[in-house]
Amino acid sequence: MAGASSTIVSKGIGGGVRPSTERLRRVVLLGNPNVGKSALFNALTGLRATVSNYPGTTVEVARGRLPGTDTEVIDSPGLNSILPLSEDEGVTWDLVRDVRDAPGSVVVQVADAKNLRRALLLTLQLGQLEVPSVLVLNMSDEAEARGIRIDREGLEGALGIPVRTTVATRGLGIAEVSTALAEARHPRNHLPLPEDLAGPALALLADGVAPASAGPGLLARYHEALLGHADSLAGRFATEGEPAGRALSRRLGRLAVHPVWGWPILVGILFAVYQFVGVLGAGTLVDLLETRFFGGVVSPLAIALFAPIPWAPVRDLFVGEYGLVTMGLSYGLAIVLPIVTTFFVAFSILEDSGYLPRLAVMTDRVFKVMGLNGKAVLPMVLGLGCDTMATLTTRILTTRKERLLATLLLALGVPCSAQLGVILAMLAVVPLSAAAVWFVAVAGVMVTVGWLAARVLPGQRGDFVVELPPMRLPALGNVLSKTVARVEWYLKEALPLFLLGTLVLFTLDAFRLLDAVIRAGRPLVTGILGLPADASAAFLIGFLRRDFAATRLFDMSRAGALDTVQLVVAMVTITLFIPCIANVFVIAKERGWRTAARIAAFVFPVAFAVGGLVRVVMLGLGMGG
Amino acid sequence: MTTLPLAAPPVDPVTCALCGFEYTPGGDSCRERGCPIAFGTCATRHCPNCGYTMPDEQKSSTLGFLRRLLGRREPMAVGTVAELPTGTRGVVARLEGDPELLTRLTAQGFAPGVAVHLLQRSPTYVIEMGETTIALERRVAEAIVLHDPDGRG
Repeated sequence: MAGASSTIVSKGIGGGVRPSTERLRRVVLLGNPNVGKSALFNALTGLRATVSNYPGTTVEVARGRLPGTDTEVIDSPGLNSILPLSEDEGVTWDLVRDVRDAPGSVVVQVADAKNLRRALLLTLQLGQLEVPSVLVLNMSDEAEARGIRIDREGLEGALGIPVRTTVATRGLGIAEVSTALAEARHPRNHLPLPEDLAGPALALLADGVAPASAGPGLLARYHEALLGHADSLAGRFATEGEPAGRALSRRLGRLAVHPVWGWPILVGILFAVYQFVGVLGAGTLVDLLETRFFGGVVSPLAIALFAPIPWAPVRDLFVGEYGLVTMGLSYGLAIVLPIVTTFFVAFSILEDSGYLPRLAVMTDRVFKVMGLNGKAVLPMVLGLGCDTMATLTTRILTTRKERLLATLLLALGVPCSAQLGVILAMLAVVPLSAAAVWFVAVAGVMVTVGWLAARVLPGQRGDFVVELPPMRLPALGNVLSKTVARVEWYLKEALPLFLLGTLVLFTLDAFRLLDAVIRAGRPLVTGILGLPADASAAFLIGFLRRDFAATRLFDMSRAGALDTVQLVVAMVTITLFIPCIANVFVIAKERGWRTAARIAAFVFPVAFAVGGLVRVVMLGLGMGG
Repeated sequence: MTTLPLAAPPVDPVTCALCGFEYTPGGDSCRERGCPIAFGTCATRHCPNCGYTMPDEQKSSTLGFLRRLLGRREPMAVGTVAELPTGTRGVVARLEGDPELLTRLTAQGFAPGVAVHLLQRSPTYVIEMGETTIALERRVAEAIVLHDPDGRG
């Protein structure tokens, strides 16, 4: 891990093409999806970033430093062409152009040693852009096991850049990569491109926009021409491998998308996730932390600590009914934390195993009804962890319409892990039929709204093309470090809002305004939803975070304040309720304030209308007993 | 196969199995006759001459499922990946379709001369191309035109 050498600083770039005395300032990692970029990033920096197994997770660029230097290392989202084809690929395009224009920066192209041909498409583009580069053939152990032999020196000669081999997950060859950085130069670029292609292609690379004269098919023809050269290079310097080296992984990968067997596998995985997150996380762990730890230790301790304080308002601020410790911290740490943590462990395992793109294959048809395609399952599943994160991930969808639809559906109906955990815990106490009502109501609203919105919104559905990475056994360290990073992100975002929400309730209560809120909310909450008037307070803080509101309702139901119908109605309404503030901000950032406001204005009445409808239906069916 | 068409695709005329009348099913002919289920999803065809009902095997996902279950396969002419029999290989002749899709496919490594292996067609098409496994939908599979295996194409 600590293989990165500190001698880089003194060496500087000694390249022949671009002689420079500048220190090495920045290293940008780029490559096709699933080639181990993030693993190499971790190995180079000694830090851990989010390691992803499907295209698009590294939506936000991870940054680190080479140990002992101030050289910045940037990990970029996986891509198949330097020229941006989707929003998240634009990030890499900007990074590459920065490297080209700023002396002292290099690109490290990470390649799957088993798939040299596809990697060379990128290398050739880097050459045409004249970007100083180093080519790293990662997963060289897998290539070797498959009998693929690569003439590294021959390839170096042909490309004119340093080529190194690594096994990033085991830290092999990392030091060699670090020292090679000083020798980076741009890949040889004397490609005999057809004349009508060469000019427009160079103009395209220079400013990212195809000249109007080139016609619409320029990019595709350009890729084809480069692939031709990549083919001949790969043929000259790499031997073909045995295709059947990973029999079990291949069979599992095939079964997971099988038209028949794919379904039991999907159901099995869902069940396992439910057992882990819903039963272990939301049940056992919450019970342990909330009842035993907070109820038995922290709260009594805090109460004892604040007891000597003579002013009741100050005491109540911390340990009262709406106390920062007894409500804010205990909701945030004891109820939400275990659920969020178990969810992200499960999600990271699924992500690293390579199952998620296969889930996209299985669910493609369902999403097509909603004007999306299977790719949308990735943000949707991530949304079950955190809708805010997931809204950022909608960038992997190819058309504007799809991104907008996915953002809307996330805001409307996908409960985040904290909320989902609380909902699952609440539903565990109602009859199965009542739980089914919740599911049917939420899923029905999602499909209906998606179906309608897909028809109302202008634009097109993108084509479904998804690469299926090999199924792998996730590395425990990776799963844990990713979980830690995500939980940290979540807590930083959620905990302050939990405390703020508690403070709002406390203030309202202290100034006797809470009763006014409860009275004002009565027509909605009691009139339409048939809930106790108290529940208004929960919906009020629902504007801050849905999961906070759900937790409040959970608390109420455990106190016996809600019957079955009320519980289901409350759950349906809060699931569909306005997304949390952070999500609204992210929607605004990604899609503009107008869209954010429209989504919020749409979601609010829908939530109450559907909640009221569920009540009427349940009472009508005699499920009130 | 259950997707709703964005724009009505051209419908080939069919011949009634009972009376031999040739007609163009669906669309206006259904609506003119006042059929209450004349939406895009109806999977039957009614002969306007004799009223005989025939199943639309392209549209009915149930029939498609049964066919897959019973393993009966229609003989297919190799043209695009969409028509390649499951489990067989082909060599890409060219890519046809809208420029944006072609850009995407070429970036994934699809190009003339590349060998592809169709693994399955449902729930989506899954093909292997060298080291890469790619899932794609039918309308994308139709963009990948293959060489005729007999070398005629």
